[in-house]
Parts: sequence; C-alpha cells; structure tokens
Amino acid sequence: MDFTQATLVFVVLAPGVVFGVLALLWLLGWVPPERVISRITGWMFSASIIALLPVLRSLAASGAPAVTVTFGNWFAVHDYRFPMVLMADRLSLPFLGMTVVLSGLIGRFSVTYLHREPGFFRFFLLLHLFAFGSLLAFAAGSFDLLVGGWELVGITSVLLIAFFQQRTAPVENALRVFGVYRACDIGLLAAVFAMHNWAGTASFAGGLPRLTGYRATTVCILLLLAAAGKAAQVPFSGWLPRAMEGPTPSSAIFYGAISIHAGAYLLLRVQPMLVQSGLASALVISVGVATAVYGTISGRVSADAKSSLAFASLTQVGVVFVEIGMGWKWVAVVHILGHATVRTLQFLRAPSMLHDYHQMHSAIGGETSEAGGYLEELFPERMQLWLYRWALDRGHLDTILDRFVIHPLMRLSGFFSGLDRMGLHRPRRERGEVVVPVSSAAPRGARQEGI
Amino acid sequence: MAGGAILTAVAIGVPWFAAVTLVAGVTAVTRSQPRVIGFAAALISVVASLFLLRAVPAGESLKEALMVLFSCLTLGATLMLPRRDCTSGTIGGILFLLGSTLLAYSTDDLRILLAAWIVSAVPFVREQWFGAATWRPRLGLLLSSAALAVAVALIAASGGTMSIGGLNRTSPGGMAVFGLLVAAVVFRKGICPAHAWVADAVEGGAAIPTALLLNGHFGAMLVARLIVPLFPNTARDLFPLLSYLALATALYVAIRALTENSPRRLLAYLALSQSACILAGLESQTMEGVTGALVHWIVVTVSTMGLFGIVRLLEVRFGENLTVARHLGLAEHAPRLAVFFIVFGLALVGLPGTLSFCSQDLLIHGTLASHPLTGLLLPISTAMNAVSVFRLFSRLFLGRRRTGFTVLADALPRERWILTAGALFVVFGGLFPNAIVARRAAEAAAVEQAFRLPEGSPDTVAKPATSYRESTSGFFERTGAVESVP
Repeated sequence: MDFTQATLVFVVLAPGVVFGVLALLWLLGWVPPERVISRITGWMFSASIIALLPVLRSLAASGAPAVTVTFGNWFAVHDYRFPMVLMADRLSLPFLGMTVVLSGLIGRFSVTYLHREPGFFRFFLLLHLFAFGSLLAFAAGSFDLLVGGWELVGITSVLLIAFFQQRTAPVENALRVFGVYRACDIGLLAAVFAMHNWAGTASFAGGLPRLTGYRATTVCILLLLAAAGKAAQVPFSGWLPRAMEGPTPSSAIFYGAISIHAGAYLLLRVQPMLVQSGLASALVISVGVATAVYGTISGRVSADAKSSLAFASLTQVGVVFVEIGMGWKWVAVVHILGHATVRTLQFLRAPSMLHDYHQMHSAIGGETSEAGGYLEELFPERMQLWLYRWALDRGHLDTILDRFVIHPLMRLSGFFSGLDRMGLHRPRRERGEVVVPVSSAAPRGARQEGI
Repeated sequence: MAGGAILTAVAIGVPWFAAVTLVAGVTAVTRSQPRVIGFAAALISVVASLFLLRAVPAGESLKEALMVLFSCLTLGATLMLPRRDCTSGTIGGILFLLGSTLLAYSTDDLRILLAAWIVSAVPFVREQWFGAATWRPRLGLLLSSAALAVAVALIAASGGTMSIGGLNRTSPGGMAVFGLLVAAVVFRKGICPAHAWVADAVEGGAAIPTALLLNGHFGAMLVARLIVPLFPNTARDLFPLLSYLALATALYVAIRALTENSPRRLLAYLALSQSACILAGLESQTMEGVTGALVHWIVVTVSTMGLFGIVRLLEVRFGENLTVARHLGLAEHAPRLAVFFIVFGLALVGLPGTLSFCSQDLLIHGTLASHPLTGLLLPISTAMNAVSVFRLFSRLFLGRRRTGFTVLADALPRERWILTAGALFVVFGGLFPNAIVARRAAEAAAVEQAFRLPEGSPDTVAKPATSYRESTSGFFERTGAVESVP
C-alpha cells in the first residue's frame, strides 16, 4: 500500500474509528467534555481534508483513472465473494471532498450551536458515524460495500431525526422515515443480487458489471427505487419535511448536502448502464421532473423556513435526476457540488436569519415588506385554489401512502392478530397492556427488591 | 475419542448435577448462592465445549459449535437474570435446559435425541416452573415431541441401527418418517400455522428461560443433522415447499408484529421471523444460503437473548405492564440499556458493521438464487422487522421523561459487562466476519453436499474438500471445490 492509498484508507476509516472509540469509552462510563469532542472532531476532519490532497494530486498528475485499495474479500462462500475495495476516481473524489469539508464545517458550527445541549455527545457520535457511512458509500469499489455505507447513512439519519427524543413528533417521524428507507433499500439489495447472479460480480472498481438489455433495465430500475427513496423523490417525498424535526446542523448535512445527494451518486455510478436503457432513463427523467414540480409548488405554501429549504432542495435534486437521465453526467456533478454548498449555508443561516428578520421588523415598526408577484396568478382562480390545497397537503403523497400501503398493511396485521387469538382467552399479561401505564411509583423500591 | 466422550459428559453432566443440587436445596450454599452455582456450572460447560470444538476439524464441527454457543448463552443468562428471578428453581431449570440441549446436540443416537428433545420441553410444560398459563405452548411442544417420537418408533420398527451416522442416506421409514420429522420441525420451530404457541410462551412464561428454549433452535438442528443427511432425495424434492412455508412464516409474523403492543409478544414475533429465515436458508440448497443460515443462527441467538434480557430488566425496574402503545421515555433513566437494545435490535435485522449484515447478505443471495421470486419475501420481511425493532425501541425508550421516577435505573455492572460482551461479539463479528463465516462455510459444505449425494450409498462420506487459506491480504480465500470422497 503506497502513501496515496494509505491516505485514502485514513480518510474513510478515521471517522469510524473516532466513533468506535468514543462509543466504547461511553459504555465504560466516561463522557468526554465538550471541548475534547470539539477538538477531536476538528483535528480529525482537518486531517481528512489534508489527506485527500495526495489522492487529488495522484489523479491529476498521473492521469490514472482511480486510486484503488484492495483488501481481498471481506468474506467468501463458494462462488460468492464480498470484495473489500476502496476506490477514489473522478466521480467519487468530489463527493469525498464534499463530505469531509461539509462534515468538518458542520462539526465546527455545532460546537457552538449545541453548546450545553443534553444530547451534545450523542450528536457528535452520530455525526462521526454518518461521515464514516457516507465516505464508505462514496469510496466503495463495489455495490456490496456501498450497501454498508448506504445503510449506515440511513440509520444515523433516522437517529438524528429523533434527536429531540422528549417530543413525540420527532420520534414518530423518525419511524416513518426509517420505514421508507428500509422499503426502498430492498431495491438496492435486489439490484446487487441481480448483478451477482447475471454478471458474477457487483464490483465496479474495474468497470461496471457487463449487463445489457432487460437485465440492465431491471438493475437500473431497482437502483432507481433505492435512489428515489434516499433522495426523497416522488412518490417518496413525503418523508423529507418530517425529517426537519432534527437539529438544524443535521438537517443541513443530511438534507441539504450529502444524504439527499447519495441517490444521485448511485445513479451517476451506474450511468453507463443507464444510457443503455431507454426505459430506465425515461423513468429517471420522469421521477426528476415530477419531483421538481412537486417541490417547487409545495415549497411555496411552506410556512416554516426549514421546510421551505427542504422543498427547495427537493426541486434541485429533481433537476439533478433529470440531468442524469439525459446523460449530462458532469453537469449533474457540478450541480450537486454547487447546490450542496449553497443549501448547507442556507440551512445553517436559517435560525439566525429569522432572528435578524424579527429584529428588522421591530426596527421598522412591525411593517412587513411587500410580497412580489406570483406565477400562479396566471392560472384561473379555481385552479389556484386547487393547487393551493394540493400543495398544502404536500401533493397528497402521505395520504396516498397511508391509504394504499400503510392502512391495508395495518388492517392485514390486525386480521392476522385476530387469527392468532382464535379459540384463546386473552392471557393474563395482555389484559392490562392497553390501559395500565408503566408505574412511576413502583420502581423506587425496585432496586432494593430485586434488580 | 475417550477424551471427547469425557468432555461431552462433563459439558452435559455438570449442569444437570448442579440443577439437581439446586432444586433439591441440598446445602446452604446452593440455597443462598444459586447464581454462583449456575455461573460455575455453565462456565464448566463452556470450557468443555470449547475443548471439544478445538479437537474437531472445520466442516465437522457443527454440533460442537452449537454446544459452545448454547453454553455461552446460558452463562450470559445466569448473569443477566435479575435478582428477583434468580431463585434456585430458575437457575436449576436453566441448567437442566442446558444439559438437555447439549445432549440433543451431541448425541448420535436417535433414542437419546428423542429423550433430550422431550426433557428439554418439560420445564416449559409445567406452569409452576417456566410454563405459560395458556394451552397452546403445551400443545405445540407436545405435538412436536409426539411427531418425533412416532418417527423414531417407525425407524426402530423398520429395523437396523438407531445411529444417525449409520442411517445416512437410507431414507429409513420412507415418506411417513420424513413427514413426521418435518411436522416435528414445524411444531417446535413455530412455523406457520403452528407459530402462535411461541408468542404465548414468551408472553406468559419466564422471559429469559423461554428465550433460551427458543434459541436452542431444535427445529433447525433437526433439519441440518437428521432430515437432510437421512433423506437427501426427498429433501431435495420437497424442501422447496418447506422453504416457501418458512418464507411465508417470516413474512406473516413480520406483518403481525407491526401492530403488536406487548413488548414480549413483539419480540417473540421478531425472533420467529428471523428464525424462519434460518430455516429458509438451510432449505435453499445453496452454499450461500446454508452458510448464511448457520451464521444467522448465531446472530439471532445472541441478539434475541440480549433483547429478551433487556426487556426483562426493564420489567423489573419499571413494572411488568410495559406497552408499545405509547412512548415511555425510559432512555432517560436507563441510557445504556437503550443503547444495548438498539444495537442488539439492529444487529438482528442486518445493520452494517454487525455480523447479521453478512448473514443477511448470504441468506438473501442464497434464497434468491434458489427461489428468485419468493426469495424476495426475505428482504421484505427483514425490512418490516427492522421497522418493528425501531418502533419497539422508540416506544420503550424515547419520549417524555417520566416524572416521579428519580432513580437512575441503568444497567448494573454485572448486566453491563455481559451485554457489552454480547454487543462486542456481534460488532466485531461483523467487522471481521471471515473467521466465523469460513468455519460455518465448511460446515455448510457438508450440509449442502448431503443434498447432492444419491441415497443408498451409506459408505460414501460427504467430506468437504474445501479448505480456507489466508491470502496475502490477510483475508481467507477458498481453495478447491467441494467434492465427495470415499
């Protein structure tokens, strides 16, 4: 392993190691003070940014297609192998750079923003795990490894949505987001299996698995399902406003910068396969157009700053999907980098901007500034009203999901529950489960009585 | 050989002896220190099983590996039992179960296997011991025992040996015995439509001992050690049906769990669903599927044990009427138990960085390879289970802090150490899976090879020629093909 390869390995593994060490120390009973966490985070991301420079220089100077580090197989059974390959090529390097720079920036911002917050340590723990998951997904040399990073990004995203755990709404929203993630990830798992089955490998370090015809189309559509779920594209867009329940820095890094673009990265990675399939390309474009229109209309009726920004993100990512479907790979990459940077700034600025506006309004005597004209005014009034209702209910996407997926599933579960209880008296324990609350008085003596 | 027999006798006999001593209350020490006695007996079983495992080559170590796993699990259970539950009767029952399970794993005689199968169920039939008040657990265990007993009787009636090794590839008793063995698996493992007794047993019985009973995975053991080697042709032809049934069970109970509000029942459904995945993998007849099943066996065992243990610890601290119908906010009072719960929960459903990520990966590839369409049910049911795990976690641990409860009721050092050991096992097993996967792959080769061999060739020994060498990169690579050697 030469120096450049070692730096790539360092960049990917460093946040994972920091997460592991901090988590273990906490389990052993030591909670590091804020200053220690802040310094470790700062040093780690600074070192990662510096460590990426040799990789950049190597790709620019040597003209090599990629810096690749092969560790052999993580595990192997019969003909099936899980290759452990890290790779930084011209596509993944911008994403790696974006991740370490913006994560470091968010870390620095959060030291002040979350000062004395009870969940300070938990936030930084999850930030490191998220950075590790993202870097693993972007530096993976195979779809097998990409799945690992992808899932880590998903679970950290959900745990950060539920960050303010004392309130019920963030916790319930986190559950909803988790459900959408897991449902869409089935597409990724099935696509990886299809690649193994048809091409014998899911590695793309030496080029994409060679698939053509209906096989390429099937794989691309399955990957589109996963990408659409992660990037909150139509019809899965309903979860994005719910995800705004998390702290502002996590919203910025996840839904303004990195996580929201992970789906686009996945499609960019299979772009050579995508261009072979007219059907899959058309689907990607359709999903992108639908999301862009949905995002811009729903965003106009959003009453809070973070949701407005989330819908604006959605619109731009929809446009990125269109660019990918059209085959404009590098336009999409530049668009992603620009969008992620600007949107992160907007998210981080949102709380202080609101404060500034309030001050300004007070200074000018409570007068609000005149709003400008709207394109919607060109529509007939009935259509404006319909559009307003449609946008206010966020395109009815959650309602559709509830009515046609979640409620039938719950009814089916209830039916199964009835089947299971046939011919059975309710057990003693269940008789109290619905109405009896957890006792708050009993535990006082519990320690003495037999914990 | 004699050394092996002695070690087996020690691994089985010491827990049984300790159980009798505890239940009889022979000395003051056994009455006052049941946890110490239980821990010591389980530790001796662990050590003896480890020596047994070391003595056998990879590919022939399935039963020894299972013995180590189950004795470690019992060791953990003796530490995790809350003081309220830690009576001579409970510890004695657990040790009794340990001895019976190890006997079932280790024996080569069908009659002894039957005896161990029945004896292991006894504590769960008696309501005074670990049994539930409802009739279904008793019926489930009774029917599985009866099916196995009739099958063994038919084999005995057909003449010949009662040794499992001697009966290999002879289809003793024909379709009738095959059907009875499958019925025993279905009833004991809780495969649909015989699944309901498991939730009842967990709901109404003692949580940790019942978790131990379920984690014996006698049904899967019967498939791997008896049905496949004895009936390779029939199994090859009919296992797809059983595999569909297992996949259907995984999905059915995963859907059922979505609306369940009792933490114990919900956990029982999760355990059932993931256990059905093990069976689906074993029946996939592919190396990936069988290896995934054997690795997943370990994951399910450790994770569900941790989860059931944590729920019991919460019941002891916060009252027995825990519900998933609302947010209880227990993480404020027990933060470490919350972390252990989410780690074990997500480890059960394939979190990257844990051993189950590898096992699920292999299982999905194996089942999709053998059943391309129905195999999709496996990732779907796993996704639903993940949602149920997160729902259970969020309802138990997240939400508004409970006022009026001021004592920090987090894990005690004894509980923390054993839970940390379990969590580290699933995490390090996930980071460095090859040591576990390679050994299971060698054992899976023997199971998978049994499917391939024709019946009526008792002298042919299915021996995997597969070996695993360490590659230059430090990872193991498979060399050579699996083949049958005389």
